[in-house]
Amino acid sequence: MAVDESPEEQPVDVDPLLEAIEYCYEQGWTDGLPVVPPTPALVERFLAETDRDPDEVLVRLAQFRRAATVRQVAVSAAMAGCRPEYLPVVLAAFEAVVDEGWPAAGAWQSTTGGGPLLIVNGPVRTELGFNSRGNVFGPGFRANATVGRAMRLAILNVFGVRPHELDQSTQGSPGKYSLCIAENEEDSPWEPLHVELGRSPSDSVVSALHTRGIDFVDNRHTADARRILNDIGDSIARTGTVLRLQKRVGVVIGPEHAQLLAAQGMSKRDVKEYLVANSFRRVDDLRRAGKDGEMKIPKAADSSTGSMHGMAEPTGRAEGDPGGDERFRVLHSPDDVLVVVAGAPNAGVSAVAQPLGFPPRFPGRSLVRPKR
Amino acid sequence: MADTILLERRGVPSAAICTDALRASADAMAAIQGAPGYRYAVVPHPVSSLDADGLRSHARLAAPQVLEILRGPGGGAGPGD
Repeated sequence: MAVDESPEEQPVDVDPLLEAIEYCYEQGWTDGLPVVPPTPALVERFLAETDRDPDEVLVRLAQFRRAATVRQVAVSAAMAGCRPEYLPVVLAAFEAVVDEGWPAAGAWQSTTGGGPLLIVNGPVRTELGFNSRGNVFGPGFRANATVGRAMRLAILNVFGVRPHELDQSTQGSPGKYSLCIAENEEDSPWEPLHVELGRSPSDSVVSALHTRGIDFVDNRHTADARRILNDIGDSIARTGTVLRLQKRVGVVIGPEHAQLLAAQGMSKRDVKEYLVANSFRRVDDLRRAGKDGEMKIPKAADSSTGSMHGMAEPTGRAEGDPGGDERFRVLHSPDDVLVVVAGAPNAGVSAVAQPLGFPPRFPGRSLVRPKR
Repeated sequence: MADTILLERRGVPSAAICTDALRASADAMAAIQGAPGYRYAVVPHPVSSLDADGLRSHARLAAPQVLEILRGPGGGAGPGD
């Protein structure tokens, strides 16, 4: 009788781990998916990746009567499945989310139901394996998936913003699980976002935009830069997203579109200016959606309406009776448009990130501070 | 909810008005602010899409509740009362 002489594998006792995962569920610590149990030893491995004091307060939010420390964010990162060396990026991401200004204004509790879109720039993208190319909004990449998820776990557990309680989201959004991309700086014809924001190319930066939804713009139908931007502008000005007189917007341009725009002489600033001028709805479209009153559609020749001045194009109709063909522009300034290049250079696809209203700081941003 | 509780702590008589759809988060916020059971006026949801007549109707529902909260059981209300 033949004898199998290969060494017998020692069975691994996974029961304690499974019990710990179930314990985290029982405590209400998860986003619905299993978390990595944040044992003290694991959290210490994270804290060893930063020079920052574990008790340093990153933000204190009065409405919750709670503050977030470096240690608590490290716990969230461990639970999310991050590797310890991701911690400086997670801390920068958290600071960028706070920097945007929405958390203190109650955005995490809002019925509008968005979550932070994180954008990673600089060398840390390749050092830690952030995806900036194909499936950039989709699954498959640990750094993107877990850094984004760490934000949600911090919001849930550090501040207690849970659905059906403090989180009043009417429908929420899939991005609330995790929404983290890296800019495809290599395939972009323009300067990367963090350089535009005043940092050095050798810096690594996380930017944040509290986002309600990502709308795709599929245009493989024309090589005309203006028509592509008109298509993007149509999504920017979708009536369902028009709530106030002012809005800001993120545009994640696919490399194919970006290279096509640049080849026709458009700088990033040109793209922003074109989108401001061409992201509009006609007054009749707003009327059909019942939003003409809410928008206080200005009188055609009335310059006394302050911030509304110039948003509608006069058509010669009587004052006080704006015509249905007049344009209601949803953007006021190129500075209200964020342009990032991400995705694979394999199709004419871009996306519009619709943020919550008019973010106080646009975008929120923070430098990644690696351990010295 | 946090605002009215904080105002009352500063001695400013205050009353919050909330729609019935948002009671769970209102109660959660009151508990966080150390005022579990904090009283507030409740009106039916929704409010934002009401016309002028609908708003008047809601105001008529809210007004007596607001007065009762402001007067309080002993003539004054406070968080936790």
